Parts: sequence; structure tokens; C-alpha cells
Amino acid sequence: MTRSANEVMVLAGKAARGAGAPPAQASEFGRAAVRHIHAGRDPSDISRALEAVPNGPIMDFPIAFARVFERGGDTPCGQVDASTWLPLAESYADALPYAVQVDVVGEVLNITVDLQCPAAKAHLGRLTLPDALFDQMTTFAARILVPESDASRLAGAGAGLTDND
Amino acid sequence: MLDAPPPLQKPLRPPDDVMRLARMGSMFPTRLSFLRSLMRRLAAENVTVTRPVWNMDADGFGHAVYSLRLGGYDYSLVAVSTDLPPEMRTDRVIATAWDTAYVLYDGIPDADEVARIAAAAPKQEAARFTERDLILSRANKSVRLFAHVTQAMRDGQQPNPDMIRDVGYLMRTTAVYGNGKFGIADRDVIDARPGLEGPFAAEMLAVWLIRHFTHELAEHVGRGTLDAATKRHLGIGNSTGLGMAPFLVNHPVLLNNWMLVRETALARVRAVEALDAAQKTRLSDLADRAAQHLQEWNVPDPVHQARIVALRADWEIARELLAAEALGGVDPLDTVMKAAATHSCDVQELMVALIIEPFGDLVDGLADCMGDPSGGFCPPLDSTTAIQTEIKTRFAWALTPDYDAPDGCGQFWYVSEAKQEPRLGLRFDEPGAELESPLDIGRRIKALHTALNGVDTPLSNFLADHPEHGLAVSRVQLGARYPYAEIRDNLIATSCLPIDMLRCKLSFFGASKFDPKSDRWTRITLCQGAPLADDLGTNPDDWWLPVWAT
Repeated sequence: MTRSANEVMVLAGKAARGAGAPPAQASEFGRAAVRHIHAGRDPSDISRALEAVPNGPIMDFPIAFARVFERGGDTPCGQVDASTWLPLAESYADALPYAVQVDVVGEVLNITVDLQCPAAKAHLGRLTLPDALFDQMTTFAARILVPESDASRLAGAGAGLTDND
Repeated sequence: MLDAPPPLQKPLRPPDDVMRLARMGSMFPTRLSFLRSLMRRLAAENVTVTRPVWNMDADGFGHAVYSLRLGGYDYSLVAVSTDLPPEMRTDRVIATAWDTAYVLYDGIPDADEVARIAAAAPKQEAARFTERDLILSRANKSVRLFAHVTQAMRDGQQPNPDMIRDVGYLMRTTAVYGNGKFGIADRDVIDARPGLEGPFAAEMLAVWLIRHFTHELAEHVGRGTLDAATKRHLGIGNSTGLGMAPFLVNHPVLLNNWMLVRETALARVRAVEALDAAQKTRLSDLADRAAQHLQEWNVPDPVHQARIVALRADWEIARELLAAEALGGVDPLDTVMKAAATHSCDVQELMVALIIEPFGDLVDGLADCMGDPSGGFCPPLDSTTAIQTEIKTRFAWALTPDYDAPDGCGQFWYVSEAKQEPRLGLRFDEPGAELESPLDIGRRIKALHTALNGVDTPLSNFLADHPEHGLAVSRVQLGARYPYAEIRDNLIATSCLPIDMLRCKLSFFGASKFDPKSDRWTRITLCQGAPLADDLGTNPDDWWLPVWAT
């Protein structure tokens, strides 16, 4: 079964929140995860990243990239030490809102960012998620859902009891 | 050759005034609303709607296909009508079956594709769709009006005009899904295509075609023909609940762009130095139309009906500002808006929409700026000091509320397990607050502000120690470039009315006749007065605040 890119991005973001990541980091992970799948990189990186929360790349990469941005100028450059997460680091770079140049050396991502230039828009097309990863993300994502009660069913969504008019 | 300079404009209304729930909940559709823009585009391209498939039994159950060509691409609406027991008919998101279901299809579907959609569309969220399926929707009949209209035609008559005026639609959509939901196409499949590049353009195209289908279905079942004026006044209803409200919070750049365009349009017409006789007459005519529209706008809820009644009375006073003799000075529409400032938000926002209306040549091009092609692009801030400065400069609204007071945090947004739809709970009465959705932007920014007190360090260092402030930091960073990105109210206060957020968004769609059923969901009418498929070529753009003319 193929999925839309938006489905994958939203699910990955929710999964990260369910795993315990704060909202901003979860959203960044969602954007990176969809790029990761699109690029054909190893889906198990996504699974490992979710399992690693509250540590690991979902928490660390936003900081690592922010440190590059802080190096000054309109086109800062720096390194992201990615260790075993190098492909996922590339996916985070792909998902940045800025134009970037990436060079991989060993376990390090050398990156140059043009903070004045938006990233080129990419059409990600249809994506295929391994069933195990989909199930894992769905399970994590379910942790942020609130079970329904009769009261919330009637009131929470805005009740309308007579609709045959 | 130099490009023409942009039109003159007065200063924009400040975000602190515009981005308040009370004002957003008073908005009316304008000529920049998405349906209006789409109708102009369809008319400009002389779009023709064909009906290659009509497979309906005598009772109106079966399927149909409508096709058109826009911007060099073919699109089709596949409409499926089923026999729904009355006890299963509900407009709410918890429904599992509907009278009709729809897919806006990319291209012209062959028989296999029609069969696929006819099987899947009635299942809605329970089915899976493909990249050829651009929009997924469903609608329920207004049973009272549909039965009356079809019976009248069977009796050889036109329907009762009072009922046409009072109800205004044959069916109500209860969801219009786009952007990849349930496997349909991602928005980026179509967002560069001529005619569909604007926000929600594909959704609006689907809605307009659904309205066309409802007319033809009624004529089929009634074995008669509705006169054109009746059909033109029959829009398509819509029931909208809380699912729409978080969109405005979760898409701050889009919200900014919509509001900024609307405010820029207002600023441009306020800078018109003098009005000619025709423009004065047009404004006066529109004031009359607005008055009639308000008279025809009646809702069952007594609170909202009282608000409409008050607006009618206030409008009778405010419309004097648009009398020809009052429009003779310099910057006459700026004068109008300054004078209108003493009136209610309802009057002010009605006036905004009205005075923009005659000036398409000044404002229509702004509609091209309502999308979000860059995805929230802005250079990052690099220090806690810079963030503090931004908060003090642009986010005073977030620092004022006491979010610890019971009334300051009495509600919480969450996503329900049942249909994974946004909902709103009472924090001190209902379980689930620990799973709260992050729509509490004001509270988060105030918490960030507190945490930054006395801190002077690179932002990355601060976020490494305090990752929970990441969302607030990202919103503050947007502030300088996107001044209208935030709703400047406490969205978790007991006093927060989601209906205000719904009305804001729906007015951008082009909705009118807001009919709130509670603080959390509303019925509206779309496409009322909009051109029919066969009269796109005749004045397709004069249907702001439609009125029933028998």
C-alpha cells in the first residue's frame, strides 16, 4: 500500500510526540522522516530514533543544526556529528527550510546553509512504509489520543443531536 | 521598462486589533475569498462542465461523473448517491454513512476508476484512496427542502420561494478532505497547476461541482426543471466543527498571508482619494444588499439570532456612512472606516468586506499572495537575547493572561481516540488534559519569557537545556516576518469560543449565513448566488452577500 507524503509526515510527527518528544522537535522529525523514506534511506533509522526518545537524534539534531545556524553570516557552515545516525542527519538537512549544501565525511555531515534562500520545493510522491514501521508509528501516535467518553462524544466535538432537518 | 508601482495604501490595521477572536469571529466573505477567486478563474477560462456519466435510478440513487478542463488539466467529480436511513443521518464527524459521497478526480476516470470510487467513496475515512483522487467529501440532504423541492417539481410547480430563501441549499457537506488524507493526493501534486494554485482551490472546485450535482439530482428525482434564479440561490450547505479550528494555529504562515492580503486590500481602498458617481452608487447598492442579506439571515439559536438582529439595527445606522453625500471628501473610504470604528466588530467587518467589493482592479491580484510557497521561511534568531527582544516587541498579548488561573486555562484541546479528530475539553471536569494538544501558544510564549529571565546564551544552548520551549521559540521566530500569524488571544481560556476561529476560516472560503449550533460547530452556506455551470460567462463575480430575488 502506498501512502501520501503528508500522511507519513503527520504520522511520524505524532509518533514522535507519542514517544515523548516536545511538539517542535516532533514536527521536525515528521518532516525529516518523510524525506528519509522518500530518499530510500533505511526505515529502521526512524524506528530507532523513536525508540531513543528522550535521547537520540529527535532531541539532538534540532540543536546540532541550530548550532550551525549560529555560526554567523547569511551562509553559515558547520558540522553535525551524526555517529550512527548519519543517514537520518541527511534527512534532517533535506527537510530544512533553507537551501543547503551537504558533504558527508566519515560520520560527520558538513553543511552550508543559505539562510536567505528558501529550500527548493520537492514533490515527494507516493511512499511505501514497511508494515512494522507503520505499526510502530501508529502505536506511538496513539499515546497522544484521548479515549472517548459519552460526555466527550457529545460535547467535545460540538454536539448536534437533530440533523434530519 | 519598470514594473508598475503597487497602488497607494493607508497603514495596515495593527495585528493587535485584527488578530483577536472577537474580530475574527465577525468576519464576512470578501471578493478575495477562495470561492470568488475560483469563480473568476473558471469564467476567465470559459470553463464548460460536462456530465459524461449519469447512472441514477428513479429515486436518485446511483452515481454520476462531471468533468471540466481548467488550466490545461481535466478534473472530474465522481458523485455517489445512496439510500440512507434517517436514523443514520448526522452531520457530525462521528457519522459513518451519508446520503452522498464525492471524489474530485485528477483527469477523466474510466469505468474501472468510476467503479473503484463508487465503492470506496461512501466509506469515506474507512477506505483508502489514490493519488488520482484529489479531494474526498460527503454531503447529507437537507431532508426538508430536498423533499419539498422534488415534490413541487413532481406537481409541476416551482418550490416555495420562502423555503428556498430560508434554507438556501439542498445538501450540506460534512467534510471536505484534501492534502493526502486517507491516501488521496498530496497538495503538492496540484499546487503549481493554473487555477488550483491558491489555498483550498481544489476543495472549492469540488464544493461548486457538488452544488451543481445537488441541483441536477433534485431535478432528476422531481422530474422537472428548477428555474435559474432558484438554482442560483441554492448553494451548498456545510457543517463544520472543531477540526477546522486547530488549522489556523497549526498553519501560522497561511493565516498570516490570508489576513495580510485582506488587510492590504482594505488599506488600498482606504487610500482611494476620491470616488466617482458610479463608485458611490455601487457602494450604496451594496449597502442595500447587505441590509437585505441581514434580513434574510435567520438562525434558530436565540443568542446568535439576537446578534444578527442587533447587527441589522446597527447597520441601518452605519450604512449612512456610505450615502453619496457622505462620500464626497478626500480619502472617503478611510473616513468611512474611521467612523465605523465606533460601531461593533460585526459592523466594522461587514464594512471592510463591503468597501473592498467594488475595487477588484485594486485588490484582486492580491489573491495570488494567499498561499504559502516557502513553508514558513524566515532566518533564525541566534540568541536568547534576540528572542527576549522579539517577545517584548511583538508578543505582549501572550504575556498578559494569567494562565494559571482557572479561567485562564479552563479548556484544553485534544485529539480523540475515536476518530482522531480535534476536540475541546473542560480541564477541570474531563480526563485527558495530560495529553493536551499544543494549541496553547500564548501560554507557551509566556513560559518561554519566564524561563529566559536573566539568561544570555546562544539559543541552541538554551534549547539543549529546555527542549520543551522549542515550539514557543519557533513561533517567536516567525513573528517579525509574519505579523498576522498568531491569534492574539488565550485559546485555552474558559472564555475562548472556537466558533470565532471557524468563522474566520470559513469567511476566507467564501461562506455566508453562519448558523452556529453551539460554540463548537456551525452550519454555513457556500456558493449561494454563485454562477451556475451554464452562466459562468454572464457576470460571474457579483454575488457578494447573496440575496433572494424572486
